[in-house]
Amino acid sequence: MKQIIYLVLIILFPFSLFAAAQSEEGVDVQSTIKLVNYVKKADRVNRKVVDHSKFSVLKQDFKRPQDVTLACLGCHTERHTEIMANNHWTWTRTEKLNGRGEVTLGKKNILNNFCIGTSSNRETCTRCHIGYGWKDETFDFNEKENIDCLVCHDLSGIYKKESGKAGYPYEGINLNVVAQSVGSPKRENCGICHYWGGGGNNVKHGDLDKAMNDCSREVDVHMGTDGEDMSCIECHITENHNITGKLYALSSENKNRVTCSQCHTDNPHQDDLINKHGLRIACQTCHIPVYAKANSTKMWWDWSSAGRLDEEGNPLHETDADGNHNYMSIKGTFVWDQNVKPEYYWFNGLADHQLITDTISEIPVQMNTLDGAYSDKGANCKTKGCSKIWPVKVHRGKQPYDVINNTLVQVKTYAKNKGEHAYWKDFNWDESIAAGMEYVGLPYSGEYGFVETEMYWPLNHQVSPASQSLTCIDCHTNSTDGRLASLTDFYMPGRDSNAWIDNIGLILIILSFIGVCIHGGLRIIMRKNCLHD
Amino acid sequence: MKIYIYQLFERFWHWMQVLLIFTLAITGLEIHGTFELFGYRTAVWTHDTASWSLIVLVVFAIFWHFTTGEWRQYKPSMKLLKEQIEYYITGIFKGAEHPTNKLVYNKFNPLQRFTYLGLKILVIPVMGITGLSYMYLNYPNQGFQLAGLDIVAYLHTAGAYILIVFVIAHVYLTTTGHKPLSAIIAMITGWEEVDEKGARAMLADELEVALKITKARLKTDSNKSELLDTALAETEEKLGVKKDEKFRNVVANSGAGYFRINCEGIYEEVNKAWASLYKFNSPEDVIGKHYSLSRSPEEFEELEITFNKVRKGETIPHGEVTRICQDGTVGHHTVTMTPVVQGKKVVGVEGFILDTTARLLAEKELLENKIRLEQILAERDGK
Repeated sequence: MKQIIYLVLIILFPFSLFAAAQSEEGVDVQSTIKLVNYVKKADRVNRKVVDHSKFSVLKQDFKRPQDVTLACLGCHTERHTEIMANNHWTWTRTEKLNGRGEVTLGKKNILNNFCIGTSSNRETCTRCHIGYGWKDETFDFNEKENIDCLVCHDLSGIYKKESGKAGYPYEGINLNVVAQSVGSPKRENCGICHYWGGGGNNVKHGDLDKAMNDCSREVDVHMGTDGEDMSCIECHITENHNITGKLYALSSENKNRVTCSQCHTDNPHQDDLINKHGLRIACQTCHIPVYAKANSTKMWWDWSSAGRLDEEGNPLHETDADGNHNYMSIKGTFVWDQNVKPEYYWFNGLADHQLITDTISEIPVQMNTLDGAYSDKGANCKTKGCSKIWPVKVHRGKQPYDVINNTLVQVKTYAKNKGEHAYWKDFNWDESIAAGMEYVGLPYSGEYGFVETEMYWPLNHQVSPASQSLTCIDCHTNSTDGRLASLTDFYMPGRDSNAWIDNIGLILIILSFIGVCIHGGLRIIMRKNCLHD
Repeated sequence: MKIYIYQLFERFWHWMQVLLIFTLAITGLEIHGTFELFGYRTAVWTHDTASWSLIVLVVFAIFWHFTTGEWRQYKPSMKLLKEQIEYYITGIFKGAEHPTNKLVYNKFNPLQRFTYLGLKILVIPVMGITGLSYMYLNYPNQGFQLAGLDIVAYLHTAGAYILIVFVIAHVYLTTTGHKPLSAIIAMITGWEEVDEKGARAMLADELEVALKITKARLKTDSNKSELLDTALAETEEKLGVKKDEKFRNVVANSGAGYFRINCEGIYEEVNKAWASLYKFNSPEDVIGKHYSLSRSPEEFEELEITFNKVRKGETIPHGEVTRICQDGTVGHHTVTMTPVVQGKKVVGVEGFILDTTARLLAEKELLENKIRLEQILAERDGK
């Protein structure tokens, strides 16, 4: 008997082994979370090493914002060279498109499916350029005084660039106060453009929202002011003005990215099986279960319905119950959504873009194709890069294109006055497209239509607390609203099965059960024949 | 009547397997998405852990089967296969008797042999290999890995359905024993209730195997086997034979068969006991015939060698042999041969054969009594 007890113990040994590993997980997440390269809020020392209000050069009477820049560069000499290499300044980078050659691409010349393109609309779009005066192609990118240091480094909160002023701030801002306040960028500095891109709060990203200036851990576990209160640059580590991190709305190559693992390591979980999932699934997939948590984001933008005016010929604004525009004469119809479940795609870090010179080959047009497939693993990693499943905001819409040349088009949307062929003033597509295409030096056939487009925004922000992250059955389910229901290029347990095997298996089980019942029933009925006692 | 048929390890192995396979089936179906029960992570954890436990158990079982020689129980056999199938299809309803008996050295009927062997060499290994691939060859982005989970998952799922069907049939067929619960009780206590015939067959089988083992030892050992000597001495004693008496004198009241063969290999004399052991009607049917009629061609060679040795003057004692009876059936007996000498010349070979059936019956009775006694004692102790 003793031996049997020993045997039971030996055979159930894996249980004790696995259980020991399991029990560690029960411990409070906060206290056991594995972190590297990071100083917790409680341990941070906020030491002011320099007080800019004491510099006399910043007390001068600044006539122009450029004078501030020159004052900055007076001490921070050569910093302008770093800025001039930064794509916040150039609005382009030279990168290899996936499967194609190198292209110099950026906000300067790319098309999207929001406001379409900056080219013929510099004066208003460059409100988000870190410079002064980029109103047309005469702007001198080598002129260091045109750098706007303040938009990023102002900590006073009173510095603001004006709409339609090619990046110049509002008149009358006390530049001495602003200049003397400077320091490392806070989230408000980054947010002024990164929250508001596309003409409104949270329009583009969906995971970057003005609410994140002061939000709870539920909205963003990192930035939550009731938690670690991390600023943008704690993750987007910046040295010599090279800001890490980028988004595939504009980028194409897998480099200079910010990763979760830079602090959380590659094996952040106690549960090894979850760590293994990390080889094929981006952290973001489980840890960003929904985005646009505090405010809505734009999901659909249909330019084709733009141009409807009221009886007096004035543009209309219609808002939905949440106060979001759902129709604007100048832009068309919008659909907004809040607490959105992401869509999921395989992504290996390489993207392609629909250039204005590219002919349309599929509809909906993919503005920025994210490359990836389940099969990007193992040996394929070396050639293409390993694919992981990523959560993506997909922004869909309809935008004008050249029906004859079969290309997307640049549209002149902005002008100060009527009669300059700007759509937002004149509501004439033909003229606006012609003006836009002329600006970029490309042919326009004169015939336009509207084509459906999709733009992909991999999600990285608004990470939820661990307790709210996805669990197994969010994906491992055969329900049609399983998170990965549409990612069908691989077999996933709990979701997939072979109908033949399942049906035959079920039939066999039922048949054997029925068979057993009949056989047993017959034996009972015919028991009287039995020879045994 | 009860016989002890499942040893402690077997019973432990069986019920542990029941527990683990049941656990694997329930958690496996949850992982498959058939239902929600424990929660997915718990199901996966339990499934993985139980699979490792089962692997450990299977390793132990394989070791046990080989060290005890029990693996032979799974050697496939066509013998009585048809009868067994017919029994389940028709016989069982008519109250026919089982065509096969559950024996310690032959526990399984031919259907069981095939089924269990199939599980052991096909289903369980496939489940193990696909399961381990599933667990360990899916994620790594370096080294050998699966192109996808689909194939292993399909095989694993199919195997699971086969096992479920097996369990249904297996559990049901346990009720076809002597009494509906005897098979299950046997798997719990080790003691199975069988009918009289079954018990007899089992004992005979047990003894036959013991003798076979003895014979095998005798063949490899040129010296006399002490074991067989002891066995024979016992039998001879029971039969009232004394070693120093002449053969001819004892043959009459021993029940042993006597024979004499001349140098040409022709039977010159056999007694009635000999004739009846070989199932001839009378000695006259044998006398004048060649001695090859008593053996299968393979065994005849062996007999010829022995025969020639005896002709040269040797006495060959107590060989354990298999005889071919007149009706083609097979029997076992021990044989002792000595030369027949006239003057100084060997003119033939004489000897006697002792049917081991006599001994079997005697020992069986002893064993039966012993079992009954143990049963009575166990019942008394139980109360």
